[in-house]
Amino acid sequence: MNCIECRDNLIACIEGLLGDEESSQCQAHLETCAACRAEYASFAKLQQQLVARGQAAADVSIVEPVMRRVRAVPGEPQRNTIMSILLKHRWGLGLGATAGAVAIIIVAALFTAPKIQAAAVEVMTKGAEAAAKLTTIHIRGQLRTAPNENFSYIDPDLDFVPVELWKQFGPELKWRVDKPGRLAVMDGQSTVLFIKPDFATKVGRSSSAFDTQWLHEMADVSQTLNNELSASKTHGWPVTLAQEQGTDGKPKSVVTVEASTGVLTGDYLKNKFFSTADTRRVYVFDDQSQLLESVKIYLHADSGEKLVFELDQIDYNQPIEAGVFQLQVPATVAWQQEMQMLPDNAKYAAMTSEQAARAFFEACGREDWNEAGKFCTMTGTIKDYLGGLEVINIGDSFTSSLSLISGARFVPYEIKLKNGEVKKWNLALKKDGRTSRWYVDGGI
Amino acid sequence: MDLTDKEYVQRCRDGHPDDFRLLVHRYQGPLFSYLTGRLRDRSRAEDAAQESFVRAFQSLSKLRKPEFFYSWLLGIARRVALEQFRSLKRRQQDREIAETMMADSPDSDADYSLDEAIAVLPETYRQVILLRYYEELSCQEVAQRLEMPLGTVTKTLSRAYALLRQELQARAGADRTINQKEHP
Repeated sequence: MNCIECRDNLIACIEGLLGDEESSQCQAHLETCAACRAEYASFAKLQQQLVARGQAAADVSIVEPVMRRVRAVPGEPQRNTIMSILLKHRWGLGLGATAGAVAIIIVAALFTAPKIQAAAVEVMTKGAEAAAKLTTIHIRGQLRTAPNENFSYIDPDLDFVPVELWKQFGPELKWRVDKPGRLAVMDGQSTVLFIKPDFATKVGRSSSAFDTQWLHEMADVSQTLNNELSASKTHGWPVTLAQEQGTDGKPKSVVTVEASTGVLTGDYLKNKFFSTADTRRVYVFDDQSQLLESVKIYLHADSGEKLVFELDQIDYNQPIEAGVFQLQVPATVAWQQEMQMLPDNAKYAAMTSEQAARAFFEACGREDWNEAGKFCTMTGTIKDYLGGLEVINIGDSFTSSLSLISGARFVPYEIKLKNGEVKKWNLALKKDGRTSRWYVDGGI
Repeated sequence: MDLTDKEYVQRCRDGHPDDFRLLVHRYQGPLFSYLTGRLRDRSRAEDAAQESFVRAFQSLSKLRKPEFFYSWLLGIARRVALEQFRSLKRRQQDREIAETMMADSPDSDADYSLDEAIAVLPETYRQVILLRYYEELSCQEVAQRLEMPLGTVTKTLSRAYALLRQELQARAGADRTINQKEHP
């Protein structure tokens, strides 16, 4: 290979796209040619920077928050209305004033919405202002879900499990979300998810990783109320106000929001997560302090309305012990590893999601953990559960309305476990960008 | 097949505002990366990215050359970041943070000049870079997504690398010239 051929192939070489022979020829030329070697090093450095940037931004997902805000404001050319002026100077007003500014905007916009009571808007607006300058928050409640499931997973047929969030705002942002089967901690440097008893994964500093977004939104009270009002206006959700006496004998304002997400009936993920659920949200504010005191969320399921989440304790600006943001996971956990290129990677990259599901389950059936590990981080718990299984059926894969963003495909499966139990469910699979291989993202 | 920025902008203007989500999806990673370089704080960068997209949506009708949507978005983000600096400076309790954020470290320009270089790439090259590194697709998947042969993807990527390096060198040269003029 000469210099021209080598330089034509440099990127393919860096990307690992050359065949064995071409790759060897390219490497051999690089060893003998300083100019091409310098060119290679220059591109390789650029590639490292690009990869690092992509990885750093990998867990950023602002599509929904942006679209909520976009739907709440007119998409016309900017005019010098009070709304546009406030938005324009939002940062200039300072963060403390931001909630107030946004609240004013929303009040102005909402008075035209037919189903929204102005008095309810006023209560929520004051609630947002009262909680605008948070340094810390600790919220505690209970959710109908499975202890080990995703943090935003809801199932009206399950019992309540406790769920708790601690958050320290500002430049020293730290947070912890805890429920019996899994917890996530961001200690200011990195974010760790620990699924009990033996799985853990780690990403960089994050404001809301591992499906904790909805709890963070709940903890950011001003933002939550702001979002509720914006969404109510956009989608025409009814918002009503009632007055009642609290258990402490003090007068309370109760704002109810009837929310519909627009996810179609029949969508696989409909009503399984807060972002896809039709719910009635009940916010209780103390009339004296104007602070939000409790929240109840009822799911509009096929079987009728059912309470699925209850937030009954909110501690504003109370000191949080440093130990809350420290997490020691057991030494025996299986840490999720980045997927590596396999010697026979092309075979796996060519699989359909159905083929990948079958290959994974069949490997579990044979207790071939090396093979199964190509699709999933195999913990002791998963090995115990799936080892020796028998595949009964693998169906055709399907997607949900969220797949455009998440990239997940769901493969229906029916397996017979070694204890004789038959399990019929859907395996969630995603494709790894670097290796092009399917990996198991849930549904075991 | 994915639409171009120009086509998405046009669809938003033609009464399909929900298509804006596809532009947010396409550029949330690079914009966040750019703002992290500017603001040195992920949380603030995320807020600023949201704000930038919302402002972009509100001003979409003013965008004269929709094919330059991302360059234009970066301009908005630059102003949002600047407003954050000024706001932080005004707030006594955050003065220290603002000073840290504004301090010129030796690599501060390099932190976001690559993002700006990506923004001025012709769209074909930029799209391949974004899919490959920000959506973390393999070259084969990029080829499938863009419905082009793998060889074309590799060639496009090669050209994109060359253009990026050229742009970065031009920026570095301009910076050196400015610094020499300011500090003879």
